[in-house]
Amino acid sequence: MDELLAIEELEVRLFDRAGVVLAVRDVSLSVGHGEVVALVGESGCGKSVTALALLRLLPADAVVTGTITFQGRELLGLPLKQMRRIRGSDIAMVFQEPMTSLNPSFTIGNQIVEVLKLHKGLGGQAARTRAAELLSLVRIGSPEQRLRSFPHQLSGGMRQRAMIAMALACDPKLLILDEPTTALDVTTQAQILDIVRDLQRRLGLSILLITHDLGVVADLADRVAVMYAGSKVEDADVDRLFASPRHPYTAGLLRALPRLGRRAGDAQQRLMEIPGLVPVLRAPVQACAFSPRCPRSQDDCATVTPHLEDCEPRHTVACFHPEAPGVREPAL
Amino acid sequence: MTTVTIPGEGSLPSLIEPSGRGWWRRFSRRPPAVIGLAGVVIVVAVAVFAPLLAHYSPIVSQFGHVLEGPFSAGHILGTDQLGRDELSRLIYGSQTTLEVGVLATLLAMAVAVPIGIASGFYRGAVDMLAMRITDVVLAFPFLLIAVGLAAIFGPSLQNIILALGVAQLPGSVRIARAEAMALREQDFVQAAIVTGVKERVILFRHLFPNMLSPLLVQASVSIPAAILGSALLSFLGLGVQPPTPSWGNMLASAQTYLYNDPWIAIFPGVAIFLTTLSFNLLGDGLRDLFDPSMR
Amino acid sequence: MTAPVLEVERLRMEFRAPRSSGGQRVQAVRDVSLTIGEGEILGLVGETGSGKTTVGKCVVRLLRPTAGTVRFAGRDITSLPTRVLRPLRSQIQMVFQDPYSSLDPRMSVAQIVGEPLRAHGRSSAGEVRGLASRAVERVGLSAQVLARYPSELSGGQRQRVGLARALVLEPKLLVADEPVSALDVSVRAGILNLLADLQRTMRFSCLFITHDLGVAEFLCDRVAVMYLGEIVEVGTRDEVFGDPRHPYTRALLAAAPLADPVRQRSRERSAMPGEPPSAIAPPPGCSLHPRCPLANERCSTEAPVATQVSPGGHLASCHRVQEQINLEVSTP
Repeated sequence: MDELLAIEELEVRLFDRAGVVLAVRDVSLSVGHGEVVALVGESGCGKSVTALALLRLLPADAVVTGTITFQGRELLGLPLKQMRRIRGSDIAMVFQEPMTSLNPSFTIGNQIVEVLKLHKGLGGQAARTRAAELLSLVRIGSPEQRLRSFPHQLSGGMRQRAMIAMALACDPKLLILDEPTTALDVTTQAQILDIVRDLQRRLGLSILLITHDLGVVADLADRVAVMYAGSKVEDADVDRLFASPRHPYTAGLLRALPRLGRRAGDAQQRLMEIPGLVPVLRAPVQACAFSPRCPRSQDDCATVTPHLEDCEPRHTVACFHPEAPGVREPAL
Repeated sequence: MTTVTIPGEGSLPSLIEPSGRGWWRRFSRRPPAVIGLAGVVIVVAVAVFAPLLAHYSPIVSQFGHVLEGPFSAGHILGTDQLGRDELSRLIYGSQTTLEVGVLATLLAMAVAVPIGIASGFYRGAVDMLAMRITDVVLAFPFLLIAVGLAAIFGPSLQNIILALGVAQLPGSVRIARAEAMALREQDFVQAAIVTGVKERVILFRHLFPNMLSPLLVQASVSIPAAILGSALLSFLGLGVQPPTPSWGNMLASAQTYLYNDPWIAIFPGVAIFLTTLSFNLLGDGLRDLFDPSMR
Repeated sequence: MTAPVLEVERLRMEFRAPRSSGGQRVQAVRDVSLTIGEGEILGLVGETGSGKTTVGKCVVRLLRPTAGTVRFAGRDITSLPTRVLRPLRSQIQMVFQDPYSSLDPRMSVAQIVGEPLRAHGRSSAGEVRGLASRAVERVGLSAQVLARYPSELSGGQRQRVGLARALVLEPKLLVADEPVSALDVSVRAGILNLLADLQRTMRFSCLFITHDLGVAEFLCDRVAVMYLGEIVEVGTRDEVFGDPRHPYTRALLAAAPLADPVRQRSRERSAMPGEPPSAIAPPPGCSLHPRCPLANERCSTEAPVATQVSPGGHLASCHRVQEQINLEVSTP
């Protein structure tokens, strides 16, 4: 098994004031060396919870079962001390909102140096030099001076880049990006994606990309896993997923997007709506969670839970009545 | 056109729950809050049912039974320096103490909230004027106001409430103003402005109801502050005048007897302490209840 | 030819930064002119700091413009006193971005949707109830929702309520400030379709403010692109998206992520380096020149004026575009 990360049959139960929430149900996922895997879904689908489970950052009362193997080591049973060593050095995470993940009271140089000291044992001048190197790696100009900036003095895009630099400080094997560009403007987003793509190629990073933005997925990912209501409903190479989405939810998401760049006069009359809401499951159901909203659902969908099955090589889908292959019109 | 189903319909469990229900469950999850509530309820009940609970008159002196200790015949908590039953005085004292605390706070809020709302909503000249007046009030030491009022109008219950109310004003105005300023920027208030709703209506229907929670919390903290303030006044002889018992003046008059007969100081002192603590715990509980981030 | 519903001329909006942050003057809107005809949807597109939301607020008179004119149905409303403005407000309504703060949490949906009616003279409870019912059904919700409170509704449902409130008086002009940005993809489609349908049946004019180009292309008849408080390009949807002339418009279109991995990979992406400068100290000349690949000497000293790009209303404010046009004209 030469996968860098292998998540098998992960189940996460969380507790809120109304009781138990089945946040993640039987999710299996893998990230290979140098591969970019996107975990896609809307809010409440469980994608962020999956990443937090992997990093053991869930609340103390969460119930997590399954296996998470990273570089051959089982993460879920690991004592916290060893987990902390892995977190931040072998696995690094960049969060969505850079303003709240950076400490406003310290300069970014300070924060990067702290990471280098902690995980790499670098001190003093060596740490500062390396910090400046990292900043230039993410294309921040005048890096030595920028080290002395406070987070509030930087723009959103720069802060996000600083976060990426911090994440890269200890040469992680796996980088988790949680909605890395959602809070950014379009032009800034393009820059960040450029940087990430470039870094991934140069450093051979493995990336787990968590996002709801299919545009970002199309830009960065090699493989895509689509999540709905806590379980994985489709898994395919990125080209195949966009050209031939098989799960009705995936197809629905793609059809709901206003597509840019159509020909003049080619009126896009309506966007595909998916009526209803993403459910929050509190008890196991013997049914497809998407069936109440699915235009293709039939009787069996409401009585049996579909499991992931191959519909093509390297393309699995959990659906009894998947879409026909190649159904999405090829783009211009 | 598709009709969107409301959560609650359909076979799969729904996501949204009404926020009104479950508040007791949330509140009762924190023992200190429940203790605080219990304490407040007890004190209020004692005050309300005082005539039924007290066996003796709180003001009639009985010189034959001066300074009898606790557990003496017929007097569980003993008697004070004029032979009056300590327990009965304590019970009746709760009436006065609460009356002063609650009325002073109500007075302060009744004046402060309209000022604060107007100040926070209109800003500009109105705000400047209100803030400068508040600053003037703040500049006067609370005691000076109390002493001044007592000197001019005599130390009556009204004046104590007035003085304590005035002392609370700046704090309450600030809170009301801060809430109004924050609410004003909320989209739903902006929406009401765009819709053309009259400003007075906006203040009454949008601002005030959404400020109730923080104001309630503020009140639950102001009342004990007023109680302590009245105790302070009693020490200066400006508080509730004897023979009417208040915990503050019971404490004050017990000063001379502290060495030999400490219980006449201990009991009212403990009563003040427990009541103040209960209100504060209740206030904390209420604040956590209303804080959306704790949901 | 009927008078345009909205005419904005040389709008300028200045703010004073709080004294604690320096007290400088910020020009959020520097010089904006636009018109919206009857039944027309004009998209106002820009990134953060472009001033688009401020323009919207000036149009609905949530702000009093520092300079310039706003004319609604021929009437100058720029400095009208509140009293006089009030009755006009029934005809200019707004939908807000954040579904979680745009509805009063203490009011029922019936009260929220009924408020505009009560504010403008409909006092009979029966009449209010009837109109509110109709408004709510028109946006795709069942009348049962009238008894609910906002906390019981999802984001998409709240936006529909906001829309019902805005349209219950059947206004001539609707200003929509990023109404779908805070919603999930599948929910967005529903709201956008709804808006398009309602606009088609009710024929109101709409100023649609957004940063999402795909959404603008889907919904709008005409589009204006803003950068740092000014409009840099304006034209019909086909003109702006099919034949973008201004370098900023081109950069925006190039940067917008496509939900198509094949096309995405072959695109020239990050065409515009850097970030938008602060509105406190805009660059001299053309405010885009520090980032513009086409910038020349003139761009850094002289502010460009709107150049007619083609017969009709397609305008772009760019020296290079102007030079190009002059060249085409002079070449026989």
